Amino acid sequence: MKFEGPIPGENYLTDTKNYPWHRPPDLVDYDEAVSYMLDKIDEPEQIELVFAMLQIEAHVATVVSTLLLQGISKGKFSIDLAMLMAGPLARYIEIKANNSGVKHKMGVEKDDRMVLTPTLLKAALGIVEQPEEESEEIKSLREEAGPNEITQEQMMGLMSMPQNTGAAPAAEQAEMLGQVEEDPEEELEEEPV
Amino acid sequence: MDFNKAIKQSISNFLEGRVPKALMELKEGELIYTPEYFDALEEDLKNEPEVKKEDDIDEV
Repeated sequence: MKFEGPIPGENYLTDTKNYPWHRPPDLVDYDEAVSYMLDKIDEPEQIELVFAMLQIEAHVATVVSTLLLQGISKGKFSIDLAMLMAGPLARYIEIKANNSGVKHKMGVEKDDRMVLTPTLLKAALGIVEQPEEESEEIKSLREEAGPNEITQEQMMGLMSMPQNTGAAPAAEQAEMLGQVEEDPEEELEEEPV
Repeated sequence: MDFNKAIKQSISNFLEGRVPKALMELKEGELIYTPEYFDALEEDLKNEPEVKKEDDIDEV
């Protein structure tokens, strides 16, 4: 049993104006809101923060997103207006960064897009190229060279498999495995005292 | 679409010079912060003469 859970219908009675974003936003006009944010970015602390973020290779889009979320959380503007403001803010930060010589990436480039090449286009359109016919000169040279056959010996390398892969005779195998019993008398005969 | 993707989409559209039509219609006068405004601002900043530092100014 969950006793700490909300009572059904509690949401209808809760005061939803506890957070700034639950109340009507302070700014509703596009130009006013953009102007407010541009002034905010121009503040020394804010521009330092923006440049510091760009210098640690944060994208401009990420910086803009952070700034807009701050504004939304303070109830300055609505989420919908923030979406419209993203472009101008990104452009302004880009200009500021260029002017100050701060390297940056916008973060909206499509890096993973496929590069369109003539070969790719032909493949997409189903155009199959016919191989060009050999000129007379090439044909005569090919005839002079003769058939391009490689002998079995040429193909054989040092580490290649031997041709005769038949199994060794049983006696040879037994000898290789050390299974041949030696006659001790023979040894004695061979080595007279 | 999450917030960050929407922001990226919005930035991308603005950089390509596209402004929402509904926004233009909603606004009674002309919009101030358009792509053209920022292009002009960029040009102005480029052409702006560099402010000399106090040390560089010759004392008369």
